[in-house]
Amino acid sequence: MKKRIAFIGWALFALLAVLPQSGLTQKFSDPPFKVKLDFNRWHDTNELYADMRKVAAAFPKFVTISSIGKSADGRDILLATINNPETGPEASKAAMYIEANVHGNEIQGGEICLYTVWYLMENYGRLEPITRLVNERVFYLVPTINPDGRQYFLEGPGNNARSGHVPFDDDNDGLFDEDGPNDLNGNGIIEQIRKYVPGKGNYRISKTNPRVMEAVGFGETGDYIMLGQEGIDDDGDGRINEDDLGGYDGNRNYPTDWQPNYVQSGSLDYPTQLPEARAEIEFLDAHPNIAGVQSYHNNGGMILRGPGAEAMGEYPWSDTRAYDELGKNGERILPFYSYIVLWSGLYTVHGGFIDFTNDGLGMLSFSNELWNGEQYFTSPELKEQQKDPASPIAPQKSRYFFDDKLEFGDQFVEWKPFKHPAYGDVELGGSWKKTTSRVPPRFMLEELCHRNMAFTLYQADELPMIKMGVPEVQKMDGGLYRIFLEVSNPKVTPTILEKAAQNNVVRPDLLTLEGKSVEVVSAGILDNKESYKIRPTITSLIDQKNLKRILLRNGTPGKTTRTFLYLVKGSGEVTFKYDSLKGGQASQTVKLK
Amino acid sequence: MKHAIRALGVVLLAMGLAAAAGAQDSAKYHTYAEMTARLQNLAKTQPQLVKLESIGKTRQNRDLWALQIASPGGVPAGERPALLIAADFDGDHLIGSELALFAAEHLVKNAAKPEVKARLDAFTFYLMPRVNPDAAEFMWAPLRWARRTNTTPYDDDNDGRVDEDGPEDLNKDGVITVMRVKDPNGAYIVDPEDKRVMRRADPKKGERGEYALYSEGIDNDGDGFINEDGPGGVSINRNFMHEYPFYKPEAGRYMVSEAETKAVLAWLVKHRNVAAILAFGENDNLITPPGAQGRYGAARTLDLNSFADASIAGASKTGMISAGGLAALFGRGRGGGGGGEEMISEEMIQMLMASGGGPGGPGGRPSGASASGGRSRMPARNPATVVNTADVDYFRQVGAKYAELTKIRTAPVLSKPEGAFFQVGYFQFGVPSFSTPGWGLPEAPRGQGGPGTGAAGAPGAGGPPAGAGPGGGQMNASAMPGMMAQRGGAGTGPAGAGEGEATAIDKAMIQWLDKEKIDGFAAWTAVKHPDLGDVEIGGFKPYLTVNPPAAKIDELGPAHAEFALYLTSLFPKVGVAKLEAVAQGGGLYRVKAEVENSGFWPTAMAHAVSARAVRPTMVQLQVAPETILSGNSKTSFIQSLAGSGGRQKYDWLIKAKAGDPLTLKVVSQKGGADEASVTLK
Repeated sequence: MKKRIAFIGWALFALLAVLPQSGLTQKFSDPPFKVKLDFNRWHDTNELYADMRKVAAAFPKFVTISSIGKSADGRDILLATINNPETGPEASKAAMYIEANVHGNEIQGGEICLYTVWYLMENYGRLEPITRLVNERVFYLVPTINPDGRQYFLEGPGNNARSGHVPFDDDNDGLFDEDGPNDLNGNGIIEQIRKYVPGKGNYRISKTNPRVMEAVGFGETGDYIMLGQEGIDDDGDGRINEDDLGGYDGNRNYPTDWQPNYVQSGSLDYPTQLPEARAEIEFLDAHPNIAGVQSYHNNGGMILRGPGAEAMGEYPWSDTRAYDELGKNGERILPFYSYIVLWSGLYTVHGGFIDFTNDGLGMLSFSNELWNGEQYFTSPELKEQQKDPASPIAPQKSRYFFDDKLEFGDQFVEWKPFKHPAYGDVELGGSWKKTTSRVPPRFMLEELCHRNMAFTLYQADELPMIKMGVPEVQKMDGGLYRIFLEVSNPKVTPTILEKAAQNNVVRPDLLTLEGKSVEVVSAGILDNKESYKIRPTITSLIDQKNLKRILLRNGTPGKTTRTFLYLVKGSGEVTFKYDSLKGGQASQTVKLK
Repeated sequence: MKHAIRALGVVLLAMGLAAAAGAQDSAKYHTYAEMTARLQNLAKTQPQLVKLESIGKTRQNRDLWALQIASPGGVPAGERPALLIAADFDGDHLIGSELALFAAEHLVKNAAKPEVKARLDAFTFYLMPRVNPDAAEFMWAPLRWARRTNTTPYDDDNDGRVDEDGPEDLNKDGVITVMRVKDPNGAYIVDPEDKRVMRRADPKKGERGEYALYSEGIDNDGDGFINEDGPGGVSINRNFMHEYPFYKPEAGRYMVSEAETKAVLAWLVKHRNVAAILAFGENDNLITPPGAQGRYGAARTLDLNSFADASIAGASKTGMISAGGLAALFGRGRGGGGGGEEMISEEMIQMLMASGGGPGGPGGRPSGASASGGRSRMPARNPATVVNTADVDYFRQVGAKYAELTKIRTAPVLSKPEGAFFQVGYFQFGVPSFSTPGWGLPEAPRGQGGPGTGAAGAPGAGGPPAGAGPGGGQMNASAMPGMMAQRGGAGTGPAGAGEGEATAIDKAMIQWLDKEKIDGFAAWTAVKHPDLGDVEIGGFKPYLTVNPPAAKIDELGPAHAEFALYLTSLFPKVGVAKLEAVAQGGGLYRVKAEVENSGFWPTAMAHAVSARAVRPTMVQLQVAPETILSGNSKTSFIQSLAGSGGRQKYDWLIKAKAGDPLTLKVVSQKGGADEASVTLK
């Protein structure tokens, strides 16, 4: 009892210690976090939302929970916004948009979003880079853009959860989703069905692995026949499991390079048809401060970027330069992940989300395919061993080994007898649970969350950020002044992607000059101020009629400092302001003298 | 007398008045309120026959009306094969609205006549007479210009200011036309044959450009361009997804961005019984049906307007600057070379990259990618953009009937069907889908109308230069465009490439206006322009080149209503042609059946089959699945059953009892349903 009171006392003390304004120093070797969450299990939609709200309630100054719309089944599509109001309103800062789980079964991105909100908040004031990020940037997180699919996947057997819940008539009989698989034995898993027919079958139990069924060879017989997926003929049309839930692909419904269903399977009848896609598009279009996007999927260990289809053409070079820099560092943050172009490295996607956000909205976008099966056996020694077919971790056996020795049989479902209404005495089993293969083992989830968050925070840190140097005024003859104005973007991402500039989808950056009695004679751009000063050259003129409001349609590239050279007449104060939707604002005032 | 009424109609239209043109109530263009009243009246007076539904709201809160006309009783209206008539996707195409309204009233008025009643009993007619009402309403605005767009705020030149530079009526005639200005940099000359017509000077003929052309107005925002960002918006007929004109004028931020577009598509998805579509608009595949290869005819444009539009092509490129900093990356510029700004174009960079001059890009697919591995790369597939050659004859046949009924031979102004609604009908929903402007010009005079004549070729017609399209990566270093000195228009880009199909019809249009005594061309008159000085203002008056005089409605209306009825006569119609069961002894029966399409069109067009856009026809024997011992399965599907009596045979061996009823059902998405029963003996 006494011990417990002491503990509470310590905990309170520790709590105070982590508050940045408390001034107390850390007394524990490890921070006692304010909100306890579990990152060693999967959260269904309700749990995920509840945990999001828990974090928001603990950090109300920074985290706002809202809904961007409703799913097909009427669930809220929850949005967590992280913004420090003391450093400016959302629209004044570059934002990172993070979403996940468009395919209902690709769940782990939801946990990453939750982890990200939690980590940013728990470490605000404790870790300088995190504090700075939260102060400088805005984060929008949608932990599941397909809340119906996620809930369905996690609360039931989870088959066909890739799709959403807009009813779809797969078998063209005028009925919708009327004959999916059935969990006949009620164990929460859709299993395979086998029937024992000694000496009369065409399947047998594998000699090398008793849990594997293999087709018999030419001239041989087996003891089993296979009867397909667990299910019955729900609609009495003579076929079993032919019209499962949904039947489309939520990530083929976006309005850039959308293609009809016969070109892009699963694209639905028209772009933006899904309520989830529509809600997301309208949210993004209304938030032009979003400069970076991450869309979590699974699996394969990839850091994907567009374009999704070859016919869309490669991105302009100045864009791929930024992508490559981020992607290559991503590979260092995420072992077993490769930075890949979607169409050439994975497969062609028409109407995918990141093509819309890059080409249609000018947001630098990645899509991580979370979890790589190579992560089961990671060391070079074990990889070498896997080349030997006799090894217990040879490719055909490695998953069974892992399940036995590390997950204690949690994932594989053994065969068990069952009385089928149509097939009589059969066995059900021989299946892997939904929580294997495409998602990591539960005990490895937290690392996946942290590493992927780290990559996305790195991207967030490399979103554009406009800085302006102190203008240098030189007095010349005839009441003229020459002003050197340095504008830079020290980050990797350009303020406006070249592709976005070509498509005219992002408002140009604006460089304005204010001065009551100042007239601009000319303006030009120098690449390097110092070389110009030593050896002046003829500069190009900015050929715009209103030089007090210069349009920079393709913005300021990443890692670049440019000097604007103004020639002005007049007197008094001059204020320069650079206004970028995605790179923030900067301004400077000087006096002509 | 007839002449007098017609003339009156013309005058009223020209003045933009909404008053009825004499006793002929239909011979007028209806405002939204008047149109709504007419539709509501139809639904009120014939509640059994007519249902009126709002399928959505516009930004200005107008209801989008969909009318359903079908006889009561029998097969529910939603399950009968249906014809959808829709109009006014291009907001200025009011004649389409009137023809759709006329068709609705014609059907109701003649509902008792046997030939009409038969159609209303068997089929459903859906009518959406005004899909872009917010735009259409500008026909009655005090100041009129050829506005096709709705009122969605849109920053056309993407300069951070929305709708800030619209037109001004400088000559106070109530309409916006074109300004011509003497300019040694101009690219245009006055046509010697008809001094009203402007054409491009041809240097190969020793012609020197004398005029620049602009839309009537001033440069409100001081950016050097005139009328480059007027009020609104999006043309609904450019917002659909087939051959969507990405990032082009009037097309919207993205596919299906507009409430009107979304409402129509959502409705269409819920009305799969729509078996054919007739759209009225500035696209055509009826006056000129598709050629043998399935291609539609060329766009037909007014050069004068295209030339003026070309004057603002540079507005949306102002401020593109070379990628500064690249010079440094490539070891130039910083303290070396010529100093100052290095101009490196994207193409140059791509070449450098290709030769291995830059940092490495992303790698290929990882060898170790496990679970998603094994998926092979699919060959690239492209969507169809021409009518399937197997379907062309059906379209040509309909075109011939259209010509016979309407006597229209030559289309007026036609735009490229990029993002057009009617294209969605065939290419995405798989049903025969037609579009017509609904009226025509007389046969083109000699030397006009053919591609490549005189002023034709129209570089820049139909939007910005080709370089602005998606995938056009050629924005290069020199893209700081000139301002007022815009070289007379389309000089700012590689225009014309791939856009050469447009035919200029300025002369044919002027001749028609003259012949019909329509005051549709404002004579060039001198005006003092605040910035440009002496200019002349004149040109085609808005609406009058897109819509015929109201008096023509009574002539065009019946022909199009007849045509709509004709279309329903082509619908596929499935039925059970034969069903017999012969006892085999031992409780076994041999069942033989044939299903037939006694309509004209196949149950699915060839394109619909390859696009899987129309549900296959389902044939289902109403027995428990386990009673079928051999033969066909309980449920079968026919991808497409040919018309004019195409048949499919079925054969089952079933287990049953004498006296049991046996029923066969056939269900077609576009060709109705049927069932037949026999009693087993």
